[in-house]
Amino acid sequence: MAPRLGVVEDNLARHLALLDEARGGGADLVVFPELGLTGYLIQDLAGEVAMRRDDPRLLELAARAEGSAGERPMSAVVSFVEESDDHRLFISAALLEGGAVRFVHRKLFLPTYGLFDERRFFAAGDSLRTVESRLGVRLGLAVCEDFWHLSVPETLAFDGAHVLINVSSSPGRDLAAIHEVGLGTAASWQTLIRTYAQLTTSYVVFCNRVGVDETISFWGGSEVISPSGDAVFSAPLFDEGLHFVDVDAADVRRERVSLPLLRDERPELHLRELRRILAERTGMTIDQASERGPGVEPADGETRRRAKARENR
Amino acid sequence: MNPQAGRPTDIPADGSNGLFELPAELAIDTDVARRVIVGFIRNQLRQAGFDRALVGLSGGIDSALVAYLVADAIKPELLLCVSMPYRTSSPESVEHARMVVDRLGCSSEVVDISPMVDGYFGADGAAGAGGLDAAPLRRGNFMARQRMCVLYDRSVTWGGLVVGTGNKTESLIGYTTLFGDSACAFNPIGDLYKSQVRQLAAAVGVPEEIIRKAPSADLWPGQTDESEAGFTYPALDRLLFWMIDKRRDDEELLAMGFDVATVDRVKRMVAVSEFKRQVPPVAKLGPRTTGVDYLYPRRRPGSARR
Repeated sequence: MAPRLGVVEDNLARHLALLDEARGGGADLVVFPELGLTGYLIQDLAGEVAMRRDDPRLLELAARAEGSAGERPMSAVVSFVEESDDHRLFISAALLEGGAVRFVHRKLFLPTYGLFDERRFFAAGDSLRTVESRLGVRLGLAVCEDFWHLSVPETLAFDGAHVLINVSSSPGRDLAAIHEVGLGTAASWQTLIRTYAQLTTSYVVFCNRVGVDETISFWGGSEVISPSGDAVFSAPLFDEGLHFVDVDAADVRRERVSLPLLRDERPELHLRELRRILAERTGMTIDQASERGPGVEPADGETRRRAKARENR
Repeated sequence: MNPQAGRPTDIPADGSNGLFELPAELAIDTDVARRVIVGFIRNQLRQAGFDRALVGLSGGIDSALVAYLVADAIKPELLLCVSMPYRTSSPESVEHARMVVDRLGCSSEVVDISPMVDGYFGADGAAGAGGLDAAPLRRGNFMARQRMCVLYDRSVTWGGLVVGTGNKTESLIGYTTLFGDSACAFNPIGDLYKSQVRQLAAAVGVPEEIIRKAPSADLWPGQTDESEAGFTYPALDRLLFWMIDKRRDDEELLAMGFDVATVDRVKRMVAVSEFKRQVPPVAKLGPRTTGVDYLYPRRRPGSARR
């Protein structure tokens, strides 16, 4: 979908209509893109379009997803600007189930470089958890830039996710003819989500918006990737659409039994080394990672090797 | 693409038929570019509450390409192309502008700016307020600004937005007239280098004659961009691409084979023209200042005309 920038009422109406349409098509889970309720480039409008978790508009969406008596209940992932009790503003994605806001993921990584300026307007989330869905699978929610950090899909997989869901407002750029799909951003994302699906042996659902905010064109291209890293579904670039994709949760089991990458992961090793690295970075050990002055001899072989690596960068 | 927008010519994307030179690193996917630009134009108009647009058609490739793209985005009859020749403008320019209008089937109008320009500088030996002996650059800038005046006046009578036609190359080196040809409501090709403009123009079917001819501001007879600037567009585009988009420093550029004099000169042109690419600064005095700490989208709710 292409949200209208800052026009929450219109976007809400569009969400409700799409939920109805999804129910008609027999959907169990409906995923909407990042900031689908507000548009992306909202800048100082952030405070004006923010909602609390118990905002009646979110509850209206949850109720519509649940449906009335006799209708098939659906789960939905929607994204909005969330205001916390202490008035911080987050870019959030909520799982709506059972007529309620069941779970909220707050975007962890706020790009503030290049064409992005998110940290100026938003607070970063500080927790990463999966959620057990009524659908019988654990879901791991992430928002756009969260997936440009390896730790996010990895942590979600460790935390038991079967399905990783990334909702995005990814601005298209780089039209260099060398890209197979004609858009550098799309090529990068396609590589990322296939890799994550394969390495975590999980389904990856990537939902990216379309439309234009100011100078930025969002490229769509939503995809569902199977636990073996193959695309089960790929939406066209730039086109708006509601797409139905059949996902078999048994594929996750099959893949994990035959390719037990997750079983063989070594989180304890990872954690131990991370602790050491953190200690070094923060100066808690002799082996400090701070930059050495020119001509200063490293203390031992280990640090000498690192200094060499730094020079070679 | 709009069927009335003319038959695309059979030009390979790399320009290998000799129609134009396209450095390999600058080649773009023209289908995606068209898709993005057409969506951009539609959105800019819709978000502002307009159905109509107008383009100042010079007879050159930039404005021809923009006219084709706008005609693709909206119905050609909702596009007004305005030609604004001065009495010394090349007859070829006028002819090429007419060719674009004929092919697109869009609305058009010719406004002769000679009386406006001559009224200021004078004519037939009688000096105006600007003086008969004004240097060509002053006259050229004045003409560009008169055209802006005409376009913005016509934007009211036509009920449409002025679409910009400046490309990335001329913007980066400052080969534009501030508040003249650079003035617009939005610009669909401002992030395309001249070489990419040519590639896209070929892909959307801009007539070959327009693609082939030497680019010129046509501010005085015989003027061409490349003779005035002293380097060719493909060479300049390559340098700007590596310098700006790919962040190569001087040493790296020289190692790539660019000569030091050109690098120095182009860097200076880019730095000197920074002011032309930015909104004028406002002295920070109050608690909240436009562009500093009052940051709203141009197209915020309620900003549309209707």
